[in-house]
Amino acid sequence: MDRDSILAIIIGQVREVVPDLGAQPISGGDAMADLGVNSIERSEIVMNSLEAIGLDLPMVQTHGPRNLGELADLLHAKLNRT
Amino acid sequence: MPSSTAPEIVVTGIGVASGLGHGKDSLLEGLLAGRDVFSVLSRPGRQAPDGQTAFMGVEMPEPPDLLPKRVARTAGLGARVAISVLDEAWREAGLDDVDPERIGLVVGGSNLFSREQLLAVRDYANRLAFIPPRHGHVFMDSDVCGLCAASFAIRAFANTVGAASASGAVAVIQAAEALLGGRVDACIALGALQDVSYVDLLGFRALGALGSEKFAGQPGRACRPFDAEHDGFLYGESCAALILRRAGEAGPGYGSLVGAAQVADGQRGPEPDPEGQQRAIAGALAQAGLRAADIDYVNAHATSTPKGDEVERETLLAMGLEHAWVNAGKSILGHGLSAAGAVELAAVLLQMRAGRLHPIRNLEHPPEPGLRWVMGGPQTHRIRHALKLSFGFGGVDTALVLRAPQGENYGL
Repeated sequence: MDRDSILAIIIGQVREVVPDLGAQPISGGDAMADLGVNSIERSEIVMNSLEAIGLDLPMVQTHGPRNLGELADLLHAKLNRT
Repeated sequence: MPSSTAPEIVVTGIGVASGLGHGKDSLLEGLLAGRDVFSVLSRPGRQAPDGQTAFMGVEMPEPPDLLPKRVARTAGLGARVAISVLDEAWREAGLDDVDPERIGLVVGGSNLFSREQLLAVRDYANRLAFIPPRHGHVFMDSDVCGLCAASFAIRAFANTVGAASASGAVAVIQAAEALLGGRVDACIALGALQDVSYVDLLGFRALGALGSEKFAGQPGRACRPFDAEHDGFLYGESCAALILRRAGEAGPGYGSLVGAAQVADGQRGPEPDPEGQQRAIAGALAQAGLRAADIDYVNAHATSTPKGDEVERETLLAMGLEHAWVNAGKSILGHGLSAAGAVELAAVLLQMRAGRLHPIRNLEHPPEPGLRWVMGGPQTHRIRHALKLSFGFGGVDTALVLRAPQGENYGL
């Protein structure tokens, strides 16, 4: 799975967990906090994304990225390492 | 509790959800019509997966969408229904005009989300690493309190109280005590939806409490409190919120709570206890400064179990209440368990305002010696003093005495 497919999955999960964002454009440069996503929702988005791409990873290993694109990079790297 | 010196408690707002629909208008209309809303239960998790059960009862329509979507998707059915009934009661009582730090919430009920927990086990059994983080707080009954206080300006206190099928009535009692103790200026008593799973229903059946083998395949005939053919209770989804205020600080509302009693009768399980029931009624009457002769209407607990109905009838006869009209909400709504006491108290107050009593569905062969049953159709009656009984497994007996607002035209 390539990095852009992973980013698309993450953005899809943001829209699933926070349907109130509606049609607002979301891209790799957006940070979840700036989109108004709270910490529990962030965890759910990451967890749902991990499941969707088939990665069983401790949540602590997903910490660090500053925006959705960096999260996609991280998950892409982890996926290719397994 | 109200006495000659304590301030009275009035109910100034009511919100209800049941198989008859959402909103108190649907409740009153459906009760008076004796509408049949029983069927084979179909919500996911209500029937054994092997197809060996056909539990009957009452399920409500989907609650109205009142929450933002991102919140609604995290809230269980019971929590969403709680928001719906609270919204109705809150607006009627005008609680936006009360200081939030003087508003409290008592949610009656425990183990409220067992059906959804069963579904979570089913859905996540093979992918435990992906249990959603929200599960860590929504499995608790207190999520109803949290969601209500996050959605409405309740800032004094919000907590649950468990007393099995008397939970709704105990919530009313504790809300009244919070008002009389001066802790708050408005208190919400919410009888929460008890969202049972098929495992719970199997347990009730094994216990001998659940109907109905006699009327298998005939849901509309299966629930029949006090009737010779009764053979157990039928589950019914319901939920109600009542707003309590001190009289004098609000209008007369629907009526006054003038006496209330809760006793522990020492039974551990489902066994009804006539002494405990009588003690509760005597306590509530004494507090109200009334005699049995002053009570003209009894809203019975009446679950449709043979033993429970019989003991309750004996209790009413022993207390000298044979002159009072008697009906039973569960004959139409099914048994809401945690919600029942609050929903049926709402029904008392709505009937008080309407001046009409709903019939007991399916009461065709009442026991002798009898009480003054409301049978066959609605009964015109101006309630002056009503008695509401609620009993719960684990030896909980409650009695509430309600007085109609004064006034020539009330209830006519």
